[in-house]
Amino acid sequence: MTNDNPETVMAYTAKDFRSELKPIWCPGCGDYGVVTAIYRALAAVGRPPHEIAFVSGIGCSSRIPGYTTAYGFNTVHGRALPIAQGIKMANPDLLVLVASGDGDGFSIGGGHVAHAIRRNIDLTYIVMDNQVYGLTKGQLSPTSPRGAKTASSTYGSLEEAVNPLLYVLAYGAGFVAQGVPADMEGLSKLVEAGIRYPGFAFINIQSPCVTYGDPESQLKNQKGKMRKLESEGHDPTNRLRAMELAQEYGQTLYTGIFYQDPASRPTYTDEVLRRQTELKPEALPRDQILSLFEPK
Amino acid sequence: MVDDLIIGMAGSGGDGIVSAGESLIAAATMEGYYAILTKSFGSQIRGGESSCRLRVSTRQVLNPGGMLSVAVALNWEDFLRFGGELPVGGKTVVVYEAKTGVAPDRLPLKGVTPDTVLAVPIEEMALKAAGTVRAKNTLVLGLLAGWFGLAEKSILAGIRKKFGKKGAEILQGNERAFLSGLEYARSQPLREDRSLQPVGAGNGCKLLTDGNDMCGAAAIFAGCKFFGGYPITPSSEIMQFLNREIWKYGGSLLQAEDEIAGIGAVVGASFAGLKAMTATSGPGMSLKSEILGLATIAELPLVCVNVQRGGPSTGIPTKAEQSDLFSAAFSAHGDAIRPVLAPISVEDTFAVTVEAFNIAEHYQTPVIVLSDQEIAQRKETVNRLDTSRFQILNRHRPTDKERENYVRFKITESGISPISQPGMPNGNYLASGIEHNEKGAPTANGEIHSRMNEKRLRKLNPLKHRADLFQIEGPDDALVGIISWGSVAGVALEAVRMAQAAGIQVKLLIPRLLYPVSEEIYQDFFASLQKCMVVEQSHQGQLYRIIRMWVQVPDDFLSLAKSGSNPILPEEILERIRQLAFSLQRHPKVEAAPDLG
Repeated sequence: MTNDNPETVMAYTAKDFRSELKPIWCPGCGDYGVVTAIYRALAAVGRPPHEIAFVSGIGCSSRIPGYTTAYGFNTVHGRALPIAQGIKMANPDLLVLVASGDGDGFSIGGGHVAHAIRRNIDLTYIVMDNQVYGLTKGQLSPTSPRGAKTASSTYGSLEEAVNPLLYVLAYGAGFVAQGVPADMEGLSKLVEAGIRYPGFAFINIQSPCVTYGDPESQLKNQKGKMRKLESEGHDPTNRLRAMELAQEYGQTLYTGIFYQDPASRPTYTDEVLRRQTELKPEALPRDQILSLFEPK
Repeated sequence: MVDDLIIGMAGSGGDGIVSAGESLIAAATMEGYYAILTKSFGSQIRGGESSCRLRVSTRQVLNPGGMLSVAVALNWEDFLRFGGELPVGGKTVVVYEAKTGVAPDRLPLKGVTPDTVLAVPIEEMALKAAGTVRAKNTLVLGLLAGWFGLAEKSILAGIRKKFGKKGAEILQGNERAFLSGLEYARSQPLREDRSLQPVGAGNGCKLLTDGNDMCGAAAIFAGCKFFGGYPITPSSEIMQFLNREIWKYGGSLLQAEDEIAGIGAVVGASFAGLKAMTATSGPGMSLKSEILGLATIAELPLVCVNVQRGGPSTGIPTKAEQSDLFSAAFSAHGDAIRPVLAPISVEDTFAVTVEAFNIAEHYQTPVIVLSDQEIAQRKETVNRLDTSRFQILNRHRPTDKERENYVRFKITESGISPISQPGMPNGNYLASGIEHNEKGAPTANGEIHSRMNEKRLRKLNPLKHRADLFQIEGPDDALVGIISWGSVAGVALEAVRMAQAAGIQVKLLIPRLLYPVSEEIYQDFFASLQKCMVVEQSHQGQLYRIIRMWVQVPDDFLSLAKSGSNPILPEEILERIRQLAFSLQRHPKVEAAPDLG
């Protein structure tokens, strides 16, 4: 949901979206950069905080709604997406943001992603992907590379990593991007573009864990490793090419928009509204609902 | 003449036995009778044997009854497959297909010799009248109308409505089949008049539905605007009903990818300010329990219906049981009470569902409605309820002033804190599953945790004094008491009335609120009792045990409990009541000797 009214667009700064709560993240955590990028994106979009619902699951990343002034809902592990869909269906005028980590999004809650995509619910799904379980102190995550040695894989992981980008592309997401906190400017723009996209938008953010993560993937190395899709000449309307590039997840750190559907698709809540409007004339007065049970 | 008739019919899939039952109940309803229709099928998804039980009465009935007054067998193999569901006694009129070749004095029924046995060439007559054996069920309707004085005019009107669309030939064939059955019955009257009394004046046409549809309608009436769920027997019809209706009222419905997502979306919709509901059965209830915990700590209203079936696991999905009471009361993690309500009939499902929404919204809590397969899927006549007598409650919203410095989880005297919702200016807050302080900020502080637990539990205390959620039948000073809940309460009520009519002093308590346990109301009920028995359909006697956890019970506190799918009959409860009453006479309670020391 966008707001193109220039007056309200001008009315907010990033500070207006920052709450008084002090983040519990470790110093050097990528999530500080993510929340800052979200403040900036929200200021650019210009919706007042009370018209925003920010939903999360469980994990370090999922503390994020509390650090904003929006209506926040820090829910349970893996279920942020279904809960956010209920919110959006209940009030389609809200701007709905969802944040979670790689465990939340692609392990315990992995089954919900496909369904949110196929419904094309208009919300922005931000996954802070750090390839490790941080809050529970360093266990294997679904995006940990094969062989990763963690608190729960002392001798090395025996599994392939989930590829979040390829996963959402395969299910038909209309907006798929990846960003890094080290590139604040680029990340803010990506989050803003995701919010403005009228449909299900997915942004994978490589947000390193300073305590349990791979030393090679820390913030200080991101700028040197990242390759901007825009500079690589990638056409974000080319879904098959986006899938090819997404295959390199875990090897090449692409940033930017992998895919944005140029066609406008109806969102779930558009369809809901249409159905409600069509059927409204058939409603009996509420207090006469039992007359549906006249014997036939 | 009789005032209560219980008809059991069985046949193979194509015989249209269930359809005949449906025609009969619709006709009886239109004529102002009270009736209940239960259907039962073999395990095949389509085809196979099917049966139905129809109880028609001049008085309100709350259970499908015990021994059959009339048994109709289109073939004996299928009839016998339904065993205990279609019990035949000495007074049962047995009507069966003559073509089966079974001699009237050699019925394949063990241990019983019915006094009236009628072998009728049903198929032959149907073929002759309608030109097709498919009219067998219509012919049976004629037989029943003829022998038992059942709603002849309304049945014929129903036949015209049902077959009118299928062309003149089929319609006329069925009319002839009906009349042929009717004439056959009239030409061979029963030795003893077993026809049903006409209904008294003032008993107009009633409504007809099942518990699942009634639950859906009550939700709409209560203002439910969102349903999220996943198909599961025997609750799916709630979702199906709302899928047809809820949009008309500006609401919406999500058939989610699983049970968890279903209740997840419901919590989301409630957070966004709507009255919301989900429905499931036992296994789904287990999946939903984590999010129920979230709703408790985030203090979000929602209604979760559990249409109980035989369990655990897949168990017996098509039969009723009352074995999810422990799960409803105790599946919460942490210190949580979720109010649990149970309707006793299709009609009662309306009031109980509306009340569930009221409690959920007023107290900002998840509420569990424990229906069961019996209520949910049986067809029952329903009185035309005066909906204006039902109050509808909404959640307390914060005023503009309260939102100047909004404290979402403010500790108030009642424990209820006004709740805002996204879109409401200055109401912004963080809802969370993590423990939080009054403003909603996450905390691990033990003192705050203890205060918030106290607040969340204290706010529900007034429920324990809701005498209107408990029904008591019988004299205050009775020495024998019965407690029963859910669909079985309708059986117990009939047994207690039979006992009272036989001069036995007994009273009955039916709790609609099962949890939290109201110590006070049970204690008052127990005051006069020397013997009390809890009647329910679970192996462990779950309500019996829950009451014992909270309440000082009478010395003789007994349980009559059976696993699901084994019907508890009114006669069976009556027999136990008799035994309890007689044992009082044999062993009078001796007053303790006064203490002279």
